[in-house]
Amino acid sequence: MEKAEKKLKLSTNSNSTLLPISSLYTFILHTICGLGLALAYWVAHNVYSVSLVNDPTQTLRLIWVIEAPIVILLFSGFRQHPNQCSYIKAVGRGLLGLPAGAIVNALGAIALGAPVGIQHFSKTANWSILMSVFTIVPTASVFGSSWIEWRRIFAHAKPNGPIDLLICLPAHGAVIGAWFGAWPMPLDWERPWQEWPICVSFGAMAGYMVGIVASFSISLFQKHLKKE
Amino acid sequence: MAVFELWRSENWGSKNWAFSIFLSILLLHCIAIVLFTSGFLLTRTELSQFSRCSDVFESPCFRNQESGLGKCWTKPAVDRVVIIVLDALRFDFVAPSTFFEEKKPWMDKLQVLHKLTSQLGSSAKIFKAIADPPTTSLQRMKGLTTGGLPTFIDVGNSFGAPAIVEDNLIHQLVQNGKRVVMMGDDTWLQCFPHHFNKSYPFPSFNVKDLDTVDNGCTEHLFPTLYEKEWDVLIAHYLGVDHAGHIFGVDSTPMIDKLEQYNNILEKVVDVLVSQSGSGGLHENTLLLVMGDHGQTLNGDHGGGSPEEVETSIFAMSMQPPPASTELDTSYCKLDLAGREVCVDFIEQLDFAATLSALLGVPFPYGSIGRINPVLYALGPGTWNRETHIEGNCQQTDKEAWMHNYVDALCINSWQVKKYIDVYSASSVIGFSKEDLLQVTEMYTQAEKSNFNRVNDSVQYKVESCHSSVTDLKRQIDLYDKFLASVAELARTKWTEFNLEIMAIGFGFMLISIAIHFLVIKRLENLQQASSVSNGSCRMSLNAIFAYLFVAIRACSVLSNSYILEEGKVAAFLLATTAILCLRSSILNKKLLTEAIAFILLISILRFTIELGLSKQATNSSLLTVHLSWILRIDKGSSVGTYITEIVPILAMTILAYLLHKSMAHRYCPSITRYVIKGTIFSYMLIGVQWILESDLISFSHIGIKANIIPRMIYAIGVAQLLSLVLGRLVRGKNLTGWKDGILLNTVAMLSAWSSTVIVLSGKQGAFVALASIAGGWLILRLQGMEQNSNNGKYGTISLYSASVTQWSLLAACLFFGTGHWCAFDGLRYAAAFIGFDEFNLIRQAILLTIETFGFSLLLPIFGLPLLVIYNYDFNQNKHPKRLLFMQLSQVFLMYGLVTTITVTFTIICVTIQRRHLMVWGLFAPKFVFDVAGLILTDFLICAASLFIFE
Repeated sequence: MEKAEKKLKLSTNSNSTLLPISSLYTFILHTICGLGLALAYWVAHNVYSVSLVNDPTQTLRLIWVIEAPIVILLFSGFRQHPNQCSYIKAVGRGLLGLPAGAIVNALGAIALGAPVGIQHFSKTANWSILMSVFTIVPTASVFGSSWIEWRRIFAHAKPNGPIDLLICLPAHGAVIGAWFGAWPMPLDWERPWQEWPICVSFGAMAGYMVGIVASFSISLFQKHLKKE
Repeated sequence: MAVFELWRSENWGSKNWAFSIFLSILLLHCIAIVLFTSGFLLTRTELSQFSRCSDVFESPCFRNQESGLGKCWTKPAVDRVVIIVLDALRFDFVAPSTFFEEKKPWMDKLQVLHKLTSQLGSSAKIFKAIADPPTTSLQRMKGLTTGGLPTFIDVGNSFGAPAIVEDNLIHQLVQNGKRVVMMGDDTWLQCFPHHFNKSYPFPSFNVKDLDTVDNGCTEHLFPTLYEKEWDVLIAHYLGVDHAGHIFGVDSTPMIDKLEQYNNILEKVVDVLVSQSGSGGLHENTLLLVMGDHGQTLNGDHGGGSPEEVETSIFAMSMQPPPASTELDTSYCKLDLAGREVCVDFIEQLDFAATLSALLGVPFPYGSIGRINPVLYALGPGTWNRETHIEGNCQQTDKEAWMHNYVDALCINSWQVKKYIDVYSASSVIGFSKEDLLQVTEMYTQAEKSNFNRVNDSVQYKVESCHSSVTDLKRQIDLYDKFLASVAELARTKWTEFNLEIMAIGFGFMLISIAIHFLVIKRLENLQQASSVSNGSCRMSLNAIFAYLFVAIRACSVLSNSYILEEGKVAAFLLATTAILCLRSSILNKKLLTEAIAFILLISILRFTIELGLSKQATNSSLLTVHLSWILRIDKGSSVGTYITEIVPILAMTILAYLLHKSMAHRYCPSITRYVIKGTIFSYMLIGVQWILESDLISFSHIGIKANIIPRMIYAIGVAQLLSLVLGRLVRGKNLTGWKDGILLNTVAMLSAWSSTVIVLSGKQGAFVALASIAGGWLILRLQGMEQNSNNGKYGTISLYSASVTQWSLLAACLFFGTGHWCAFDGLRYAAAFIGFDEFNLIRQAILLTIETFGFSLLLPIFGLPLLVIYNYDFNQNKHPKRLLFMQLSQVFLMYGLVTTITVTFTIICVTIQRRHLMVWGLFAPKFVFDVAGLILTDFLICAASLFIFE
């Protein structure tokens, strides 16, 4: 990953604000994001032999502990204005974004009906950190505190370029997936996975994956159009 | 034609037009709901009469017998009865596997029953018992003991309470000096709280616990069997039912349970047989082992499928009967061990009558069952005939038994006929005339034939000895025919849904939805034609989301889980719309605080809804709704007490201030001014009332009766409404300019209602009122933002659909947030008595309705005009007034449409789930609430249109 990043640095034009990326890098980028999540789940399942259903707190913690560095390090390489902002600073922004995003996500979830209480605290905390990794952290790393860019990504939902796509679509995917994931919770099937936040996390991760696939296909498609 | 004229009319948006549209929708809904309800909600009136021993002398059955002395209705044929109820006992648990196509693992486990049936000949019998739906334990218990067909709405004294107050077997037993002992399922104790001599109840609540009830039951059963001090013993085992619910029928726990029961039954029979010698404790005891209903392979029950209604009764008398009655319809087969096992047939409906006849107690007043001949023949006492009546003619055992049976049937038929007559006379929805006539004819025929037979036998004593068997048989057939036709009539009346009528009613609902759509669309087109700016028909993103949420909410009522958590669903959707609002406010760089405040408000509402749900779960008394609940303040601490007392009064002050401010900047006509001042005065009164109620200062010495203040508030409210309406009538044209006029009228209307609603809701009312004002205002603000940013890009439909949806979701949240839910125990009956001590049906019903729907229907609907007026651009168009009223009607129609769609889905849901386990517990109450809400919504919209439109 570091290598890929260095290569990217070499190939960047120092004047541009957004990095032009070849389709190979787009592919690598998407794959690393997706595989990171899959790897995290695999590690949780096979190395620590915990799953979301039997130990949601620890599994969620494992997943975000693995996924967060990947996302922060990866996206910091694509920071805006790379000349004015060092790589370390971008990483710092990402790290700062992690708790801030977690709070926003947790508040959103509570407004929507997530259970509140001491017994739910660790689950909610880990879940919202994971959601933050999916949604806020990449934007924080790339754009920092540029309010205009945040608005463009989240309010307008108008991404231009593969990095924007990779920030915007999986984030929206994760949120929408989590929203749908809450649906089975009230049903009386009495399955263990109906507990907060298990199905919501499944929904979020599925939505994130769908977002990654969608963003990759769209960026390929856009490139194709440009070439023509 | 009228409809056509309405459509072509030029006056779209005028007062008459709007009123006729809303009125026709109201009528359409009424028709739809009356039709659907008459097909769906089977109702039966519980009669409060009880059968008494002396009643029987009115019957034609004792004409020439003075021997009624010493016995009650029938001669007791057994002394003691042991009833062992095995909950959810499928028929194939009891009958040998050879009766079925295939041997399944759970069959042939109750071997002891097969053994006894084959071994002792006819003194033990297996019956296939057919239950009537709904096959839920409570309804079946009621059915078994009253001998009737319980329906969803058994209109009677026990509305809401589980106790069975209708005449029933247990009541008759107690009334006639029989001592009843109960053990097992505690539902019996809820149904018959004061009837048992001794009871050993065990909680039936925990389905996952397979053994507590059963072990407790067994522990008490055997010692009791050796005791003398009871006549009827009821032991209710729950293990099979619970095992079915948790593991299903084809499971090891189920088979273990059945094997356990086999052992228990074996021991019970041993004890009984060992004591059955002459003079023994159980010389004349009848053992009944029975199920109350069956279950499907998944362990569900409640519906009417064969698996659920087919259960079993095993009956065994300690004395073998002397002969066969030739009246049994048994069906015999060899079981796997080569023994011949016979199975008879009985309907559960007949159980109460047969058992009453065997024990010699009066039949329950509402019983429509027939004495089952096979079960009746098991009573040893039914074979003896008083010889002095028949003179010197020697009778065979069989003849004697048939004589007895005919006499019993005579009483049976007379009692059923009496019930049917009294029921038809006293109930609102009785039986149809033709049916009654037919039944009466059958009864007269049977009675006449019996009269002739008895007379003949008295006159020609000698001949009767020989001809009697055929005569008696004919007589039995006549009675059977009558009783069977009554049962059939009762079944069609009380257990079968009328699907055709339901479908027609549903069709009317669909028509109403179509009308809503058409009128809204047409209003949109008219507006575009007359307006300068050409709004396109494109839907904005928010509008599409709004439709999606309405659809999701409507579909959610199709599942019982979502109905239970309906408040949460509404809050979830409302919060989602709020988040979308936040998104667009970020987009527009405006009103960020308002959007965040809206989300916060919903978060607070969400917690109050959960509080309401937790109350529903614990079913605690709603009287104890206190602020301390909401703020979670320990009531014991003095600071907490101060806060709980003072904060609501503070909230009232804020409300009064807001109201005062709303009026301050505008020129008000005097009526409106007085109305609003009246409301402020009412608010002060409410504050005084709360101070008086509080524990802080004792005002008891002042001697103000607690009822005076609420009554004053009601009176002020009525006076305000009257003056507003009169003001509208007298003034006609509004002098102050119609823009402010509508706004002020709306505010005045809301304020006039608010004081009554708040005083009925108690202390939480002040907060809910603040929350609804805040919520409404935020919706208005956010809608205004959308309107400005769109700037005529979209039509009015998509402009208002988002805010109307939010408005109705907020109303739903307020309904659940104020601690209501869609069940009859969710009604806050205490609120109906605020200000009054004595009960008056109409007055209390009105108060209860206002309390239940005040925050969720009354205020939101009267507040709907604000949605249009608040952000209306009066300078934009050439005909601002006409367009305004068009938009107003559109908004009212949209709100009606949202409610109608939800109700339509509720109707679909109850139709699909009409045989579901929870239909009477969950779906039907939800249906009743929704329907009441819909009619009230339509009615209020009509009223509002009369009041607001010009």
